[in-house]
Amino acid sequence: MLYLELLFQGIVQGSIYALIALGLTLVYGLLRILHVAHAALFTLGGYLGVIITNATGSLALATVISMVVVGFVGMAVYKLAYEPLLSKPPFIALIASIALFIASEEIFRIIFGPYGLSYTTPPLQGYFVLFDGFFLKHGEALVIVLSVVMLAALGWFSTKTRLGVSWRATVTDPDMASAFGINTQNVRYMNFFIGSALAAAAGVLVALLNNLVEPSMGSVASYKALAIIVLGGLGSIRGTLIAAMAIGIIESFGTIYIGHLLDRDALAFAFLIVVLMLRPQGLLGAK
Amino acid sequence: MAYEITLVTTMAISILFALSLNFITGFCGQISLGHAAFMGVGAYTSAIMMKADIPFLLTIPAAAILAGILGLLVGFASLRVRHDFLAITTMGVVFLFVGIVRQQEFLGGEIGISGIRGSSFGRLGFMAICLGLAGAFAAFSLLIKRSWMGYVFDSIADNEDVSRILGIDVSKYKLIAFVVGTSAAGIAGALYAQHFRFVGPDSFGFVESITVLAMVIVGGIGSVWGVAVAAAFLSVMPLLFQFVNDFKILAYGALLFAMMRWAPDGLAGIVARSMKKLRGRS
Amino acid sequence: MTYPVLEVSDVTVRFGGVVAVDGASLTIKAGELIGFVGPNGAGKTTLMRVITGIIKPDEGQVLLGGKDLAGLAVNQRIRAGLALAQQIVQPLKAMTLLENVALACGAEKTRNPFSAMVSFDRDAENRRALELLSRVGLREAANLEPAKLPLGYLKRLEVARALALNPQLLLLDEPLAGLNQSEASELADLIKALNADGLPILLIEHNLREVMRICPQVYVQDQGRPLAFGPTEEVMSRPDVIQAYMGGNTNAAGQ
Repeated sequence: MLYLELLFQGIVQGSIYALIALGLTLVYGLLRILHVAHAALFTLGGYLGVIITNATGSLALATVISMVVVGFVGMAVYKLAYEPLLSKPPFIALIASIALFIASEEIFRIIFGPYGLSYTTPPLQGYFVLFDGFFLKHGEALVIVLSVVMLAALGWFSTKTRLGVSWRATVTDPDMASAFGINTQNVRYMNFFIGSALAAAAGVLVALLNNLVEPSMGSVASYKALAIIVLGGLGSIRGTLIAAMAIGIIESFGTIYIGHLLDRDALAFAFLIVVLMLRPQGLLGAK
Repeated sequence: MAYEITLVTTMAISILFALSLNFITGFCGQISLGHAAFMGVGAYTSAIMMKADIPFLLTIPAAAILAGILGLLVGFASLRVRHDFLAITTMGVVFLFVGIVRQQEFLGGEIGISGIRGSSFGRLGFMAICLGLAGAFAAFSLLIKRSWMGYVFDSIADNEDVSRILGIDVSKYKLIAFVVGTSAAGIAGALYAQHFRFVGPDSFGFVESITVLAMVIVGGIGSVWGVAVAAAFLSVMPLLFQFVNDFKILAYGALLFAMMRWAPDGLAGIVARSMKKLRGRS
Repeated sequence: MTYPVLEVSDVTVRFGGVVAVDGASLTIKAGELIGFVGPNGAGKTTLMRVITGIIKPDEGQVLLGGKDLAGLAVNQRIRAGLALAQQIVQPLKAMTLLENVALACGAEKTRNPFSAMVSFDRDAENRRALELLSRVGLREAANLEPAKLPLGYLKRLEVARALALNPQLLLLDEPLAGLNQSEASELADLIKALNADGLPILLIEHNLREVMRICPQVYVQDQGRPLAFGPTEEVMSRPDVIQAYMGGNTNAAGQ
């Protein structure tokens, strides 16, 4: 019974990792930038979710608005921060991104205060009894369902629509795509919009599970999402999803069984390092 | 006077620490997002030895050796993975370090080790030691930069594959860069432990690793004096900017971003460009 | 007895199910200049990479001066006496041309990192680098950085850097590709002159005109298989060789 519960915990966590890491993979695939500031967009999504829910009483509305607003903010980040740095060596953009992340964490603290915000009336606090002694909170169920729905929608979009196909082509091979006349600039904007909106959704969901948003909530997302996309093979979408689930589940079991040796974060990275030593290109990376 | 001594000591330790990373990242072109782990190894080594009543000066070589051994291991890892994969692997090293230290009773766990005995040199003497070691490593760095080893490092940072075609044993050189850089970080760690009389897992995490990388990049990657100046300034910036206490981290982030956006080659680059302009005018 | 400079015997390379090189064999003796030709997809570059050690062959061996190169990394093969000028030019971007070449001239100083650490003098290497740059006609450009130089210059830089290693055998991977007619024939003349000074050269090249002009012997590979090896005129007039070039695929009917 414990196994099943741990497995579910892992899947819930893995779904959130997947939503966050997907945006990073998209950015990496297109621009070869490790987009640390992505985590700030995740935090922003969480804040907007809580604030709008408290103002309107509708979590659904809050989620949608948060995703759209953060999507646009993501596009602005690309335009203002990354575009001018594309011709520079990659670590320049990496450091710029880290700087942006540090600064935005502070901005959250200065604007919203250091202690964070909570829902005034936390939505979805009930739980399903799946069978004897095994509960699944409504919020957790929503995380899994929403992740699956969004990823499926993204899958449909990228394979069945014209826009989606050109998008996928560009992420896979930017040079080839522009040779085929695809406007890569628009694809980049779209990329940042979609990736950031997914991160915002993850932010809203995490806020829901913890009933708390705080300035530092993005710090875990910032580095662990990096570990996940590297583990998945940098730029491989399928690899990212597998890695996100793997890390979620490993952490869930690992904290119980070897938590006395390594804390949660160290566990994820220990796994990452072991995998990279065996497969330097990541799980599904191309050589 | 005590305040100035603290200030100068802090600067000297940061200069040594930043130059140690500059050796790996600036000279040999191997990025590291986890350099604080090596400082941590040195700091803990020295702290434990001090607790066991071993003279401070003996803890310095021990700190260097242990940090260097870990550096050798990470160096071997760097032979397997490159570029962005290496960046994230080194980031993993620092999380592993903090994660392991936290769970070890004999390292003080979450709380760390406090009440470290002072050395017999007094505050002023200790400051002199810090300055001496930072100066010595800066001189060593300058020497290496001029030597054939520095020449080879330049080529590896430029293009590893070409270096191999020119017959260079890239792996050996990389390992040396890692061992030298991480040993020096270990020494900086021993000084840190003595300076603050305290070590804890949170003093050597990811944020600290980024901070030292920022010193290297703001200074101008590979430039010894640029990195030294940047380290001196950035290390005491929080102290100097006490009056904007609430905004100091924001200011730090903004400065770092602005630097990347408009002057990615750092202080050294800015100076080189203005010298050129001046010369062009005269 | 004396060994041939380079002996490639029965080398086979498979990528997944595709056989890229199938039983390639060729020998270069002292002082020879051999053109290595074949249509696109003939596996020329793959065989070159086997020789330099970037690719490990599935079968066969490569001997340099009688010494088996198996298991040696690229840099060790260079130390053993190979030198390579690459098809895609890769100058060290932050260094001047002189520094690019002088680094290679200092091979003795860079062999052991610890002696590199205590060596500072570059005068001798700089002098020799300047001689080599003059030899390939780049003396004027010695103190320029590669970023803005035309391809013709960088192709010559590749050659100068390879010469700086004092090789027993020079491998040239399409040195003429991308050059215009006069640049190409000028560089081809240089290659011939280097060989005339006694340096054995293996020249992979698409530019048949120049190959036929300067190489006394050619080795032809088609679809990974050795097709012909011998005196240039004799080989290049063979019907199957012409067919390989004209038809693109000699075995199309048979497969």
